[in-house]
Amino acid sequence: MSGDATPLERRLGRLPAGLRPLEHERPGSGRLWRVETVALLLGGILLAIATVNDVVLGTRTNHRLVADLRTWRAYTGNDYKNVATEQDIQHHTTTDVVCGNTVPGPPKERVQICLQMTGPVVRGYRAAKGGWYLPANTEKNLRRYRYGCFGTTKAQGACPR
Amino acid sequence: MNVAAQSEVPLARTRATQWASPLAVACALLLLAATAEVVLDGAVGHSSLIPKSPAIAGWLSGVGERLGFRVFLIALLAFSAGYAGLIALARSVSKRWAIALVVALHAIVLIGPILLSTDVFSYIAYARMGVEHGLNPYTHGPIAISHDPIYHYVGPVWKKVDTAYGPLYTLISYPFALLGVNGAVWGMKVLATLASAGTLALTWRCARIRGRDPVTALLIVGANPLYVIYALGGAHNDLLMMLLMMVAVALTFAGRDGPAAATVVAGALVKATVAALLPFMILARRSLAQAIGALAALALGAAVAYVVFGVDGVNIVAALNRDAAFVSTDSFPTEIAHLFGKPGVFPIDHDLLKAALVIIVLHLLWRTWRGYDWVAASGWALLAISVTSTWLLAWYILWPLPLAVIARDRRLLVATLAIQALFIVHQMTPLLAPVK
Repeated sequence: MSGDATPLERRLGRLPAGLRPLEHERPGSGRLWRVETVALLLGGILLAIATVNDVVLGTRTNHRLVADLRTWRAYTGNDYKNVATEQDIQHHTTTDVVCGNTVPGPPKERVQICLQMTGPVVRGYRAAKGGWYLPANTEKNLRRYRYGCFGTTKAQGACPR
Repeated sequence: MNVAAQSEVPLARTRATQWASPLAVACALLLLAATAEVVLDGAVGHSSLIPKSPAIAGWLSGVGERLGFRVFLIALLAFSAGYAGLIALARSVSKRWAIALVVALHAIVLIGPILLSTDVFSYIAYARMGVEHGLNPYTHGPIAISHDPIYHYVGPVWKKVDTAYGPLYTLISYPFALLGVNGAVWGMKVLATLASAGTLALTWRCARIRGRDPVTALLIVGANPLYVIYALGGAHNDLLMMLLMMVAVALTFAGRDGPAAATVVAGALVKATVAALLPFMILARRSLAQAIGALAALALGAAVAYVVFGVDGVNIVAALNRDAAFVSTDSFPTEIAHLFGKPGVFPIDHDLLKAALVIIVLHLLWRTWRGYDWVAASGWALLAISVTSTWLLAWYILWPLPLAVIARDRRLLVATLAIQALFIVHQMTPLLAPVK
């Protein structure tokens, strides 16, 4: 250490060699570099797999949503664009609920019919084995608003009355 | 190697050199075309990719068509492919052409609409709250000015949320409130463009100081798809934060430790994330001037913030803690949760992620103490913050990019670009399976 070192540098100079601050990395830190690189590669592989997995999951979900919308339009005979789809994010089943107006009008401002979609996508459609109605101007598909359950949803107790 | 083979190698090199310039031009044209497509289609409005906005780009609306996911994602992919090609061929791009390309990309985005984010309207709403309505943006959300014309443009999620930005940024934004809504949007766009120009100029300068090719550095940052389309397109204040970050780096390279540390603090008073640089800078330089500069800037900033905004303006940590709890579908923790069959991240995951971040930062601090490049360590810290964050937006993974191009550890640049590539890949679902 040079004679014009600051008090801080003099104090740091008294530290054991392994703890002293260095201006530049010592040659021979290649092992640490390799360990870090391996950790980075493993982290990168995990992130890449997670990203691709998410894209695949999203793609499958979108395929299902397209089938849900097509099925709702086929069952109701209404070719509306503003049809709302809800997924079962609580239990991660592939059962979706699709709601839309029974008659033309602004979205959710008419009585809505909701269909419960289940099963796989077959030739672009899914099975709708039950459903319910929602009163006009109902924003959320909550159990307390539902009425007129039909099909399998009746037995499931999807409606309060 | 025989004589014939020896003569073929220079020939192949000459051919490659001959092709490099036209290929680089093709890549540059691809970037310009993709940007123009997004901007012109975006100017039409009525798209879920373009936020509801004051009519600032109506004069462009007759040229394009409504911007759909498909066109946007193809443009983003084309831009990314052109960018990759341009970076690979950067050595054959002249200084003049590189600057011209980056200026052209900035100009195209500047004249267009706000792209992909409503954040700029939140900035303006907070400014108008303070200037026009006498309300403190650190205690009220934009809903407090629901009668103000800017309110309709604020994103639904942010209407009840107080500002999370630093008091310096809030003060910088206040004069824009006097320009009216349209004027403020233009002002924010110009501010973002100027901040970007400053960041790029300093990246160029720092690259030269570090012995890196400044043209390559300029292209990697200034022609980056996330930088141009998302950060510039949305006029994000991250660009101002990055400018102050690069000012601090340039000052440190010039041996002006005190002003450098003060500038990092100023950057943190714009957006707190940049404070991550300070410990690495201090460990590497170990000068008293840094401590004095940082403390002086902090004391001044806190005093001004307290006088103007009260105690809430000083307590940025509370806002950061609030925002740290947000979850976005693009975040890597969310993707990993999905990989392991979970619907998303839970509170315990937030704790685990914070612990992982602390371990990474401690490792980087130790490495910096033992002579590792502090610029690279700062870049790694910023990258780790964005990767472990449950609330990830495109412009967050730009934070380490200017540092990565000047860092002595090239792994940082590779990692940053790889993370950006994964982010772009994650956007592709609507292209693979469009919902009609």
